Formats: sequence, structure tokens, C-alpha cells
Amino acid sequence: MNDEPLRNTIKVERAKRNLTQAELATKAGMTRRSVNAIEAGRMIPSVLLALRIARALDVPVETIFGLDGGPEADRHD
Amino acid sequence: MNELNENTLEVFERFSRRSMVILLFVVAILGGTALALILSPAGAVGRSAARAAWLIPVAIVIAGVATQSSLKGRRWNPASPEVAAIMQDEWRRTNMDRASRFALIVVLAAQWPLGLLIGLLGGVPSVRTAMAMAAASMTLGLMTVIALFLFFGRESRS
Repeated sequence: MNDEPLRNTIKVERAKRNLTQAELATKAGMTRRSVNAIEAGRMIPSVLLALRIARALDVPVETIFGLDGGPEADRHD
Repeated sequence: MNELNENTLEVFERFSRRSMVILLFVVAILGGTALALILSPAGAVGRSAARAAWLIPVAIVIAGVATQSSLKGRRWNPASPEVAAIMQDEWRRTNMDRASRFALIVVLAAQWPLGLLIGLLGGVPSVRTAMAMAAASMTLGLMTVIALFLFFGRESRS
């Protein structure tokens, strides 16, 4: 669906906190399917949703989302 | 956000998808029956459908009760935060938008073959032909939207 090389580290951040997809969904006020779709790269979330996920994981949004090849990719990959 | 209940959210999400599956079957049955009645009211399908017409609302009620039981005692309350989270879910909305766009194309593209197919059935009065076209288009459109919505929203193993 999306050609933009958006990279996300939700799965990694989730694993660090020992959170399931359902738990993250509940914390961010979204559904588990949304978390699943974003993690799998099938959905690019809106800015609002990205910020809510970042807040739920207690990290800056650029830690979770970034463009492939961007400076943040080197920092977190 | 934080008052969301994880289990309720999961149960409601499953309920929402099951309801869509049931709706798909209901639309298929109602659309098929309507087409049969319009095109051939005296035909075998038309006669059976007319005789068993009372079965359709009964079947819908049974399907509704069966789906409702999957809520495990919870109530689908549109004011609850879990239902609001599901209805406003971005992934759900994205999939519904995509499914609607595809369905529009499918319905438009199907007009010519549908018209040809229904027109080939000789002896059907023009009013019935127009009604059959409308019923076929609505059934096809609704079924495409629902089926694609379910397809796009499927879960991927990650």
C-alpha cells in the first residue's frame, strides 16, 4: 500500500517493555489490529496516532518512526 | 485512553469483525433472493423464496443473537471508550475507505456485463430489468465493500 520507506521500531520497543500488541493498543487508545498493521509496515499512522504510540511507549516519536537511510536509522537500527 | 479495558477491547474487536462476516452473508442471501424474485417470481427459486420468506428475518435474528453471545455478557455501548476506540480506529477507517473506492470501481465496471446478462434473459419486462439491475448493483457493491474491508483488515503474522 505504501511506497514510502517508513521504518518503525515498535516491535523492539514493545519487547524492551515486555508489552503485548494488545497492551500497547490499550495504552495508546487504538486496536490491536492497528498495532499489528503498523508493525508489519502495512499502515502508515497519522501524526496523532504516532504521537500517541510514542507517549504510550514513553519515547520520542523519532525513536519509533523514521525514514530508511535517515540519520535516526543509523542511531536505532 | 487509559480507562480502556484490554479484554473488552479485544472482545469488541472480534465482535465487530464477526458482525461484518454475518452482514456479508445476510446481504448475499437478501440480494440473491431479491434478484430471484424480480427476475423470475414464478420460477423455482422465486417460489421457494416466497414460501420461505418468513425464514429470512428468523435467520437474521438467530445470527444476531449468536453474534451477540460472543460479547460474553458485555454490551455494545456506542458511548463506551472501547467501542469509540474501535469505531474511530485509523486502520479500520483506512480499510473502509479503500474498500469503498474499490467497490465503486467494481460496481461501475460491472454495469455493462450486468446489463448484458440481464438483458439476455428474454421476456423480462423493462421495469423488472431495471429493478434487477438496481438489486444486482446494490448487492455487488455492498458485498464488495464488506469482503474487501475484511480482506484488508486481516491480521499479518509479525
